[in-house]
Amino acid sequence: MKKSIEFKIKPDWDEIEKVRNESAEFLQSHELSDDTIHSLSMIISELIENGIKYGNFKVVANKVAVVINIDHNTVTIEVFNPVDESAFSHLSRLDRTIQWIRGYQDPFEAYVERIKEVSKKPLQDTESGIGLVRIAYEGKALLDFFVNDNNMLNVSVVSNLEGNDRK
Amino acid sequence: MINQQPPRFNAHLLQGQARIPIEAQYASRFSLLIRFFNGFPSDQGAEFNKIVFQQNGDKVEMGPCQYIVEPHHQNFQGRLVFKQAVYDLNSLFFKNKIDKLQTEFSNLPLILAHKTKIKKEFKEFIANLTYDLNVYKNIFDTLDARYADEPELIKQKVQQAVIETEGRKFMRFMDQKLEEFERTIINYSKKEHERHGYYLRKQLWHFLMCSPFMARTNLKPRGYSGDSVMMKMLYDNQYEGHSTFAKLMHKHPNEHPAAQAVRNRRKLVAKMLGELKFGRQKASGRKIRVLSVACGPAFELQDVLTSAHDCTGIQFTLLDQDKSALSEAASLIAMIEKKFNTKIEVEFLNESVRTMLTTPKLDKMWGQFDYIYSMGLFDYLTPPVARAVIEKLYQILNKGGEMVVGNFHISNASRYYMEYWLDWVLYYRTEQEFIDLLKNVPTAESRVLFEDTGSQMFLHVTKSES
Repeated sequence: MKKSIEFKIKPDWDEIEKVRNESAEFLQSHELSDDTIHSLSMIISELIENGIKYGNFKVVANKVAVVINIDHNTVTIEVFNPVDESAFSHLSRLDRTIQWIRGYQDPFEAYVERIKEVSKKPLQDTESGIGLVRIAYEGKALLDFFVNDNNMLNVSVVSNLEGNDRK
Repeated sequence: MINQQPPRFNAHLLQGQARIPIEAQYASRFSLLIRFFNGFPSDQGAEFNKIVFQQNGDKVEMGPCQYIVEPHHQNFQGRLVFKQAVYDLNSLFFKNKIDKLQTEFSNLPLILAHKTKIKKEFKEFIANLTYDLNVYKNIFDTLDARYADEPELIKQKVQQAVIETEGRKFMRFMDQKLEEFERTIINYSKKEHERHGYYLRKQLWHFLMCSPFMARTNLKPRGYSGDSVMMKMLYDNQYEGHSTFAKLMHKHPNEHPAAQAVRNRRKLVAKMLGELKFGRQKASGRKIRVLSVACGPAFELQDVLTSAHDCTGIQFTLLDQDKSALSEAASLIAMIEKKFNTKIEVEFLNESVRTMLTTPKLDKMWGQFDYIYSMGLFDYLTPPVARAVIEKLYQILNKGGEMVVGNFHISNASRYYMEYWLDWVLYYRTEQEFIDLLKNVPTAESRVLFEDTGSQMFLHVTKSES
């Protein structure tokens, strides 16, 4: 059984569904429960969507890469996409948001706080940031990120598998 | 925020079919100063359906509202307050968001429902603990009140006597309760730990908020755990707080193994840096370059730089994401310089480790280092990020140079106390997982060592000379 799977996709919304389906098959082959596969699929979609949204795809060859790795008790999902300087303010916000979410023992607290923020109607459109909170709360996973010196953003989640995460 | 000029604008009040022009100005978080145009008379308590105005090009309607006469305010005649939905005008004018006080209740059903899956034995444990803590708090508060009128020095001495007798018994009670607590939760799943931790904090919130340390770890005013103020509290390990009970609740987590491990690691870093200053400096004949990553206030430097001579042989680079922590480190350096009447070569880098890796040719920008250490960082990095950071740090290490990074071990005896009571979650590793961070660095010689409590381990890496 393969321990990892990789995808390289064009920054195209239609590609997300394809990765979602193929990764679900991969996760099924590791006998993960339906609920766990559903949660991990949601995470994969959220991360790719963010990758497409904030990535630098001015060069046609630039792609979004997804790597899913399953160890005996850990699933790691890494999504890579190139960024340019226009994304740097997003990265600072991402840094603060991830530290803020992970500052709570129970991601439910971050979820409740974010829902409250969203219910305060902004006069102009702003990001809700709810996607990252959903990853932590509904996806039960630890978020993190870094940018390497090729300006490649790596956003990852680590999810520890427990007894009921397997069939 | 409020230092900005209070916004002043034209608006309309709607009263029945009437549309009344006014001038308004932000007065306070929940009130507006208003002036009626054309001498429109309005009585104290007059009510309006809503106020309508433009804010940054958007139409804003808020109401119902009521007029309060207050004629002595510059050119304004009175204030407008809201009668039902209470709008937060700070949020509107300074954050561009329409927010109501009542928003706090918007998640009430969700929060109330969060208790449904709490296990019976845990509820029982918390109920008993709450009763016991209330009893202790009432007694300690009663004692505080009995000597409250004594002169300050006498009060201090009396409180000290209470702490050293019944206070220490309370600390033992807390130890026993924590043992019972751990027995109750030991087999919980991750999700159950999270949910039960939330429940514990909600139930014990007013006890936690007594303790300056627990309040800070829970509230995280700088947006992250382990800020420099928390570190100082851990190092000081004193009885802090506004009452005897508060002092005890502050001191108890500061005496736990993880807190002792933090104090131990400071000594360990000081010892290792001390060996550097006496060893390699002489051998190389040049200044030793030291990088501290996520340096915080760098308190350990006062243990290392104990003479004017010490200050001359090492060139420090201190990196942290938090400007306040760097500023505290700068103050500490200035204090040491003043003490020994000398200069310390130090560079401050305000960077996040997650984005610093984006800098191409980091070694050209920052140079190479003989010694790199990072004590409280890897506890927050998941494996993909921890690997990337450690590989980058290894790249900027001189051949023969050493690197020491700390990480709490998975067996940390304070783990559940920290997670449930302090809302302080770390990324724990085993020795092997720690060593595996270096698996892409084949030339590294590494070993893992522990401080005395066994809670925290250190990965010691030497860069091969070849």
